[in-house]
Amino acid sequence: MNTLKRYLNSEGMESFASSVFAIIIGLLVGLVVLLISNPQQAFEGFKAILLGGLTDMKNVGQVLYFATPLILTGLSVGFSNKVGQFNIGASGQFIVGAYAAVYVGVKWTFLPGPLHCITALIVAMLAGALWGLIPGILCAICHVNVVISCIMMNYIGMYMVNFLVTHTIFDSLKNQSLPIKANAVIPKMGLDNIFKVGNSPSSVNGGIFIAVIAGIIIYILIEKTKFGFELKACGLNPDASKYSGIDSNRTIVISMMIAGALSGLGGALLYLAGSGKSIEVVDVLAPEGFNGIPVALLGQNNAIGIIFAGIFVAYLTVGGFNMQLYNFVPQITDIIISVIIYFGAFFLLFKEFIRSHKPAYSGNVNDEVTAQKESAGGN
Amino acid sequence: MNTIYFLIQQMMYFSIPLLIVALGAMFSECSGVINVGLEGTMIIGGFSGVLFINMFQDRLPGQPILLIALIISALSGIMISLLHAFASINMKADQIISGTAINMFAPAFAIYVARMIRTVQQIPFINQFRINKVPILGDIPIIGDMFFKKAYITTYIGFAILIISWIVMYKTKFGLQLRSCGEHPQAADSVGINVYKMRYIGVAISGALGGIGGLVFVIPTSTNFNATVAGYGFLALAVLIFGQWKPFRIMFAAFFFGLMKTIASAYSGLSFLTAVDIPSEIYKMIPYIATLIVLAFTSRNSQAPKAEGIPYDKGSR
Amino acid sequence: MDYVIEMCNITKKFPGIIANDDVTLQVKKGEIHAILGENGAGKSTLMSVLFGMYQPDGGKIKIGGREVEINDPNDANHLGIGMVHQHFKLVQNFTVLENIILGVEPTNKGFIKRDDARARVLKLSEKYGLKIDPDALIEDITVGMQQRVEILKMLYRNNEILIFDEPTAVLTPQEIEELMKIMKGLVSEGKSILFITHKLNEIKAVADRCTVLRKGKCVGTVNVADVTKEELSEMMVGRRVDLVVDKKDVKPGNVIFDVQGLTVKNKASSKNAVNNVSFNVHRNEIVCIAGVDGNGQSELVYALTGLIPANKGKIELNGKDITNASIRKRTLSGIGHIPEDRQRYGLILDYDLGYNLVLQSYFSQHFTSHGMLKYNDIYNYADELIDKFDIRTGQGAKTMVRSMSGGNQQKAIIAREIDRDPDLLIAVQPTRGLDVGAIEYIHKRLIDERDEGKGILLVSFELDEVMNLSDRILVMYEGNIVADLNPKDTTVQELGLYMAGSKRGNVA
Repeated sequence: MNTLKRYLNSEGMESFASSVFAIIIGLLVGLVVLLISNPQQAFEGFKAILLGGLTDMKNVGQVLYFATPLILTGLSVGFSNKVGQFNIGASGQFIVGAYAAVYVGVKWTFLPGPLHCITALIVAMLAGALWGLIPGILCAICHVNVVISCIMMNYIGMYMVNFLVTHTIFDSLKNQSLPIKANAVIPKMGLDNIFKVGNSPSSVNGGIFIAVIAGIIIYILIEKTKFGFELKACGLNPDASKYSGIDSNRTIVISMMIAGALSGLGGALLYLAGSGKSIEVVDVLAPEGFNGIPVALLGQNNAIGIIFAGIFVAYLTVGGFNMQLYNFVPQITDIIISVIIYFGAFFLLFKEFIRSHKPAYSGNVNDEVTAQKESAGGN
Repeated sequence: MNTIYFLIQQMMYFSIPLLIVALGAMFSECSGVINVGLEGTMIIGGFSGVLFINMFQDRLPGQPILLIALIISALSGIMISLLHAFASINMKADQIISGTAINMFAPAFAIYVARMIRTVQQIPFINQFRINKVPILGDIPIIGDMFFKKAYITTYIGFAILIISWIVMYKTKFGLQLRSCGEHPQAADSVGINVYKMRYIGVAISGALGGIGGLVFVIPTSTNFNATVAGYGFLALAVLIFGQWKPFRIMFAAFFFGLMKTIASAYSGLSFLTAVDIPSEIYKMIPYIATLIVLAFTSRNSQAPKAEGIPYDKGSR
Repeated sequence: MDYVIEMCNITKKFPGIIANDDVTLQVKKGEIHAILGENGAGKSTLMSVLFGMYQPDGGKIKIGGREVEINDPNDANHLGIGMVHQHFKLVQNFTVLENIILGVEPTNKGFIKRDDARARVLKLSEKYGLKIDPDALIEDITVGMQQRVEILKMLYRNNEILIFDEPTAVLTPQEIEELMKIMKGLVSEGKSILFITHKLNEIKAVADRCTVLRKGKCVGTVNVADVTKEELSEMMVGRRVDLVVDKKDVKPGNVIFDVQGLTVKNKASSKNAVNNVSFNVHRNEIVCIAGVDGNGQSELVYALTGLIPANKGKIELNGKDITNASIRKRTLSGIGHIPEDRQRYGLILDYDLGYNLVLQSYFSQHFTSHGMLKYNDIYNYADELIDKFDIRTGQGAKTMVRSMSGGNQQKAIIAREIDRDPDLLIAVQPTRGLDVGAIEYIHKRLIDERDEGKGILLVSFELDEVMNLSDRILVMYEGNIVADLNPKDTTVQELGLYMAGSKRGNVA
């Protein structure tokens, strides 16, 4: 009983409950919007959102397919949050990674078999890392605010990729990039046999495994390594880290590179999935980059949490597609997600709310009392 | 010479919205709240203003309908920014996240409402607002050609907002008290200033100006609203930082970026540039690259309000 | 008896603690009334209740015999109550004038009437002898002047009741004398003064009566003239306290730390923060750098530990030149540092105790292998230190440091630094904000280290600590070392003269 109590009181549980609160509120707002739009079909539409991802195996597969890039951009945002920087540049990193991967997929036909695909992924990560490196360096050397420089890099990336696609791998009929060669496509690994309906498989492929493995690697990196120790220290207290000899500039730059590489990999996994998706030449920022933000929020910046959060947001997205069958506007899904983010920002308050409503659990009462005295400013 | 007039006229279309929104951001940040949700605020403001014009342009004449639309944009901007204020001030939420939520919500909301009301996501309007020549002032040589021909009333409103902002910030009691909330909220609290109220007002002003900026952005540059302001809300933040949180420097920064943007989109009208044959995407990148370069040089001595971004907790001492 | 203030049976609770427990305070008009107590006794809380920053859970307040409710500082102001806080509430990049009028600006349709305000401020400044420059920026003026601005804030608002919260913490002995004079001047004009302190000398110098608080309760109110310092001290802590430290004489060994010509530029002004400073520390020696806060001590320590670069000069540890070494290299060469701001530089509050205890050594082979942390080794080591140094925690090495008390947080830092066996231990304000028990412990530890052959560089603003602990005293004034004294051969008064720059000695 005591262990159960301790588990329920733990930080992890508090965080999880906060995420759940935000999700519930977001969904309720969505329901209200549905009711306003079309009261008769609102509940059908809402059911579609809630259950769409489970209706058949193909839909389940689609959930995993959409989750793949989301998990990676979520890891990207979550990872940089740990070091105290908000990586709003995931979108730019995503698209440059996508371009690099597609370019290799279209042009580097001299690479044999699986090497073609692997190289594409690696080049994508390098491109993404470069895109994360620039804001990192600008922050470390010139004190430029990372949020602003990432936003600029998003737009620069978007225009640059449009430019590069039109000049190197352009399909002018469809205004998008050329199809990649078969060798570069990420293997299905039998998933197309599991997640299908009749003869129509979902687009899920080995990418989901790569995404989950990336999550596990990041988790180990943050929690178990010396680098992770330094990274978290920089995010929690840059002054004390400096004093313990940690080079916070170097840490931030490396972290932004890793974050960029993760987003870049996400871009590669999406466009090499063999689902027929090509890079469209439009002046629109890649939404997958921004959708990483709610994923990181819901996952509380914890790599394992992000894996689940990514699957959840993908689940909502697939539900959103099903909802459209009832003549609802697809933007409703975005509205739900943005509301979840908004309330996700209240985490601190939710945590306090939960904390103040549970009985105090601590070993040494005297110290807790003294600590509270000091924090209450008693003098 | 004509090229210069053309450049300046065009520059106004790009600079004035930046100026207005950046001034709004200034009010918010000087009170202590970072508002990255200005992109979304501009979208909401632009959307509601254009929708209003779209619905009433048959019944109301030119400039008046624009003026009323500006008021509507301001009001809708205030409303959405209050959500950000609530999250940041009362809930002490992370201000970057709350602002980002608004940025994601706004276009989705705008498209949703557009499709509900008008079945398509673009809202068109007839641009009957361009003033080809201001009487008397337009005849002044040089200055008249630059500032009083082919202009919009919103340009003059923008300058008025600039001057009013400067006066309010530095000459009034409200301005002094607002700035104290962003620099040292404990000090403000100890002399009886209601920091929460001041911050709400700061954010509301940024909402109003953001909303107005959204409408001012759309009017001169297109004939419909398509739920986007092309990153202007973010550029306005860069303008704010470049302008070191001071109104007249913000104006220079806004002109700088407006000029960059103008060159990017109007280069086809500049003969010496078409000769060089730089692709259009490169031009589009220029304002953003220029921003990065400028920030790289100016961020070192940042004069940011000391307490911005930090939620104020009355209990903490 | 007509009291100008009566706080009757005030009770104020915070989660888990009763900060004020049925406290009654009565202040007569025109008196200087001291409020004495240790850290955590409830003094600041009580005054915050009076000033409207907190609302009491029980009891009532009477001003001039009338019962009142004080809901916020505005109400307090209207009742004529003003407060100078321990941490000044001044906006750094506003001018003196703007800070004084903030919140009560004279306006004409919303526009500030600066000239009117300026005239009034200058008149007040003259009347009470508080010299200031109305157009100077707060970030450019001295701490003593900033305090005068705070006092003018109260006078500008016609406050009749003035509360001072630990006003002398940042002043030289001479400035303290001046402040005492100003206070006496204020009461002669009919003001009443409440001042919070834990310094017995000051109470004796200037207060008429004194109320003593201990652990939230009121112990009693006395006429200052009728009690001795020892009696006051006993009321404050509840037991006899030995104010002298047990230290035996040890002959200093060879030079272990040598600083020559160290100069650190000041970011804001053209004056150097640290100006051509040279000194050394021997083994078996405690050298104390005394001086008023803000005369370059912080910058000196930052330069010695590597947090900021020195512009000129040489630093040698055990003969090795570490002038340009990185922070980590210096730490590994044998410097330990107990920083001034323990929560900012010394600890990562959201890490647990175990992680914090290896903050300076996590990268060594003991705790890291092939880039991976060795958990068991880290936590075993932490348990050892907790035992050795008697660190009190809720959950042992897994306790979140944020939830530990100030005293135990400081013990953790000391444990970590001392156990690394440094040759030179730099301790800045090591006992600030701690209770008597913790202070005794830390003093003893420092003396033990000195006896075992370490060199200790102590920076302190508490003159008692300086006189009792050190073997040698170096006084810093405006970035220079102006005196090198033997505590046995000098007095607090003489120290004060050096600290205020009124005297300069031959520095060896």
